Amino acid sequence: MFYRLLTLNWRIFISNLNRFQLLLTIGYILFLGIMLVNLIGTAIVVVLMDSRPWMQVELPWLTPDIYKFILLVFGNAYWLMHFSFTNMRLLNIEENRKLLGFGFPLKRLAKYLTIIGFCHPVNIIYNFTWVVFLMIQVDFAYQIPVGLAAIALNYVLIYSVKHRFIRVVEKRFIAVVIGFLFLIFGLFQLVSLFASNSSRIFAEFIPQVETVNYFLGWLPGGLMIQTVTVEYGWLNAGIIFVFSTILVGLTVIDHFNKTKEGLLNPGLKKAEEESSKLWLFLRKVLGRNAGKYYFYVMKHPYNRLQVLTLTVIPIVYVPLLLNVDFEIAKTILIPTILAGIPVALLAMGMANMYGYENREFLLHLQFPINLEKQLKERFLGVIVLPLLVFYLITVFELLVIPKIGSPLQIFVANTFFFLMFMLLFVWSSYFQYQRATYSSFSYKHPIIPQKVTFAISFLIFSMGYLVFVPLEGLEWYRLTIMSTVIVIMVIYLWRHMEVLVNLFKNRVLMRLWNEL
Amino acid sequence: MERAIEIKHLVKCYEDEPVLKDLNLEVPKGNIFGLIGPNGAGKSTLIGVLTGLLSFEEGSVAIHDMELNARNELEIKKIIASVLQPPLLFEQFTSLEFIEYVCEIYEIDKDGLVEKAYSLMDFFDIKDFAKIKINKLSSGSRKKLAFVTAVLVEPKLMLLDEPFESVDVISIERMKTVIRRLKEKGVTIIITSHILEVVENLCDDIAILHQGKIKAYLDSVSRKELQKDSSLHEIFEKYVEIEKKDQIVDWL
Repeated sequence: MFYRLLTLNWRIFISNLNRFQLLLTIGYILFLGIMLVNLIGTAIVVVLMDSRPWMQVELPWLTPDIYKFILLVFGNAYWLMHFSFTNMRLLNIEENRKLLGFGFPLKRLAKYLTIIGFCHPVNIIYNFTWVVFLMIQVDFAYQIPVGLAAIALNYVLIYSVKHRFIRVVEKRFIAVVIGFLFLIFGLFQLVSLFASNSSRIFAEFIPQVETVNYFLGWLPGGLMIQTVTVEYGWLNAGIIFVFSTILVGLTVIDHFNKTKEGLLNPGLKKAEEESSKLWLFLRKVLGRNAGKYYFYVMKHPYNRLQVLTLTVIPIVYVPLLLNVDFEIAKTILIPTILAGIPVALLAMGMANMYGYENREFLLHLQFPINLEKQLKERFLGVIVLPLLVFYLITVFELLVIPKIGSPLQIFVANTFFFLMFMLLFVWSSYFQYQRATYSSFSYKHPIIPQKVTFAISFLIFSMGYLVFVPLEGLEWYRLTIMSTVIVIMVIYLWRHMEVLVNLFKNRVLMRLWNEL
Repeated sequence: MERAIEIKHLVKCYEDEPVLKDLNLEVPKGNIFGLIGPNGAGKSTLIGVLTGLLSFEEGSVAIHDMELNARNELEIKKIIASVLQPPLLFEQFTSLEFIEYVCEIYEIDKDGLVEKAYSLMDFFDIKDFAKIKINKLSSGSRKKLAFVTAVLVEPKLMLLDEPFESVDVISIERMKTVIRRLKEKGVTIIITSHILEVVENLCDDIAILHQGKIKAYLDSVSRKELQKDSSLHEIFEKYVEIEKKDQIVDWL
């Protein structure tokens, strides 16, 4: 039965890949490979850095205490990374749930899904790095089983805590997000304070490094290191090993029960009455078609999160970067971040243009509604908000940070950015079409898959360099090229407004019928 | 009387809201059993519980004298086949791949399976779709494919949730023929439907489900007695106690 389950999931995975996504998947695999090598490489360097004689010559400040401090900081930072990047999403539970209706026993299905869930490649990479990191520090044979048990326990605990955390996020979404953003803001302020007072802090800190090490040793990463560096004897090792194994078992059973519960309760909810002033407002401002579309986009919690993040990120980053004595930060990073905001808003609205409220499109066949009008209003409605933000940002840049370029440069660069991504999202909503009531940025049901989101972020920053890096005498060449491309894109969009309708008719309409 | 299904004091809730409330029901073996009720009565939920797709809070369910629990689940599932509304299908398989895949789970003998599948698909006019991906099929063809698959796994109990919805009249008649043939072979079939005429003609016993409870159980004897004076439609209205709205809205 396990084989059949794998067959089904392989089929689901493969059939959802188009050529573009296949390319991205190859890129993702390469990225994972690089990540594995980097993580293991760093772990080995950190562990072995004090054992090389030339290191002691080159780095005389590397006393045993400082070395231990570095090791503990790495261990704890790595643990934090492990916690953040532990991936919970591997299988499509809704599709796998169908197996219950075809003679697949619940217990067995839940068991297999639990096992497969634990085997996400990213999670395996992190755990393998722990194995390498800890095993090269082992002094006594009894530390090996204890270290391995600690790695297993650490992983299942992270998995379990994260699973519960996601549940809490679903229930108290806005509160958690605001809390999280404040935490990030606080963290940046702390780093900024630390950076500006580093020499004084270090002078006071070095004599007390032993105390700090003691404290770090009891944090999760420190505890992991302790399992292979402390002498505790065979008897204690046996006790710790048995205790850890029992805990691992209990946590796995708990997760198995949660999976079982999830399979039998597919999130059916009792009907609740809903009314919205937002809908009335949007209908009034944007019209019936665009208003209704935007209402569905904005109603989704992940899109709200997106708006919130887009508001907070510049508030945190831009003042920080403005205070940094690093010219590139001002000339490239700030304008790139700011130009990325309307792009993200565009993605939010446009990435799944045919997906939201898609049955409405069938109405043109039944009612006296014009499909072209419907689609164009939807398209234009989506552009309004990003365009407004685009102009506000451009004016902000001209008034507050004029050193990034002349008004013409700023305007042309931002327009270029905006139009490039607008085209990308129009195509994306076509190629990535899915029936959806969820968002383009949902980590649970991504319309733009994580790989594409990753690629877009990469593209934004690459384009930032391309568009905003100072070119001195060659600036006019770049301006000419960008202006030409802008004109071509505007003409393309203007002449191909019907492309929206054609895309819909050629591809989406057929699928809509099938979904009825 | 041998029972195919025995349900005692069944309670099923969605977010603490009970959908099935202290439901009791017994279905005899080899019976074509009709389950009717208005929208939201809990018919699909009951089928979901029997199929093993939904958990329940209280009560007990026994199928072929086996208690529906983790220990017996595999044995029970081996004898059940279902067609749900909407039908459960793996979108990325072709019709034939889907049939083979499901039959493998049920450990059905592979010899002659493809021929059987083709003949049954031909009977329901979906043979041409054998190598077409399921996500390209119309809703009627999907329903027929689910039905064909359910027949091929050779169940002892068949659960059909609105099997005739979206299906053309000719195929409905053919489905009825297959259902009668299965009954002759001793298979118990439970059907939910809103088409009272079909239920009336096809089913031996009928239960009326309303607000999560069985309001009436009409076996062949009591049906004869009751239907002397009134139609199934009238009996249904009586038990469901839907507010009478004889007068059409004024403005119309």
